[in-house]
Amino acid sequence: MAKPRAIVKRRKTVRNIRKITRTMQLIATARFQAAFNRAMATKPYTRELAALVRALAQAAGDVQHPLMRTPETVRRCDLLIITSNRGLCGGYNTGILRCALAELEKLEREQVAVDVRMAGKKGAGYFRFLRRPLAESITHVGDPPRFEQVEPIANALMERFQKDETQAAYVAYMQFISAGQQRPVVMPLLPLAQEAETAEAPAEPAATRVTLQYEFSPEPRELLDELLPATVRTRLFQCFTDALVSEHTARMVAMKAATDAAGDMIRSLTQQYNRARQTQITMELLDIVGGANALA
Amino acid sequence: MPKIETFECNVITPERTVLQCQARFVAFPAHDGEMGILPNRAPLVCRLGVGLLRIDAETEKHVLLIEGGFAQMARNRLTILAEQASRAGDIDAGEAARALADARQMQATDDASTQLKARAIQRARARQRFAAHAT
Repeated sequence: MAKPRAIVKRRKTVRNIRKITRTMQLIATARFQAAFNRAMATKPYTRELAALVRALAQAAGDVQHPLMRTPETVRRCDLLIITSNRGLCGGYNTGILRCALAELEKLEREQVAVDVRMAGKKGAGYFRFLRRPLAESITHVGDPPRFEQVEPIANALMERFQKDETQAAYVAYMQFISAGQQRPVVMPLLPLAQEAETAEAPAEPAATRVTLQYEFSPEPRELLDELLPATVRTRLFQCFTDALVSEHTARMVAMKAATDAAGDMIRSLTQQYNRARQTQITMELLDIVGGANALA
Repeated sequence: MPKIETFECNVITPERTVLQCQARFVAFPAHDGEMGILPNRAPLVCRLGVGLLRIDAETEKHVLLIEGGFAQMARNRLTILAEQASRAGDIDAGEAARALADARQMQATDDASTQLKARAIQRARARQRFAAHAT
């Protein structure tokens, strides 16, 4: 049986750790709230943008755009993986990386060259460990992610796609479904899917479905040239905000589990300590009684 | 007294909804010049340029600097989708001046980069002007 002193020391350590994890849990909760509100605040823009694209598509008829062109064969593609810059968030990074690697291997089996672009230090570290090359490592997207930070990334992806250097672009990130559920997904970003617009559109009441005769300035086609890249940029931005909300949720859950586990550990250590102390007292008493008996 | 007609006006950036109010008149920088909107205007979709967005709301006036985006007017509801919308206090004059200097230094070798440079200069100038105007 361990010495009572050693147990006390250990209990103290666990207590300190619990203090830290509890604080981190509280911080994650506050950050989660902020990130969640921010993620919600980005929704109107996406919604209105989708509505604009729909209005334009109605006016321009068949929408054709270089960003929507689906190439027959995909020879090279970009895979952007969004991981976190910091650790201690449970299975968050593992989840994304596992999902992204599965996709990566699938693409490689199909003879597609994949340029992996990694956002976040954790993913970059993992790929270093795997000795897999990274085309680019992005660590400047902060918390909260700013639109100006995400914009160049989206522009670079679109430029390569339009120059036919790549034939597709994917984003792997942790999709935020609810506070209790996040799912790692690989989302195709380019070519821009047309169906996605309608899928994201809220169900409009039938009364407002009347087609409006819009006045366009400049011509619908020229407007589309600006609108579609804007859609791609917003979509990517939303991936980043979503990923951040998921990250904070994951950290919150992980830190809650750590705090709880520390609590359990303290309880069992206290029990062990009490038992050890009692044993010691009993032994000392036996010694004294034994000694007294020997003298008598 | 006749009731003053108003329309709903939303200013939205990718990050958040900047402004939501009932407006009597709105003037925004379109790609080819300034455009004014009064209540019950016919449906319109328009690309935005760089410049000042002025909104006469019911009780107050708002001025924002807009850098590109789109405006949509439909069913008496104006939606301004801007990639950037800043209020006067958000812009630092010194920073704007530096941005202008940087923009002037940009290499312009072909059509695309010339356009990019012109745009950067235009943006920086507008920011500078706005910052000076505010103080």
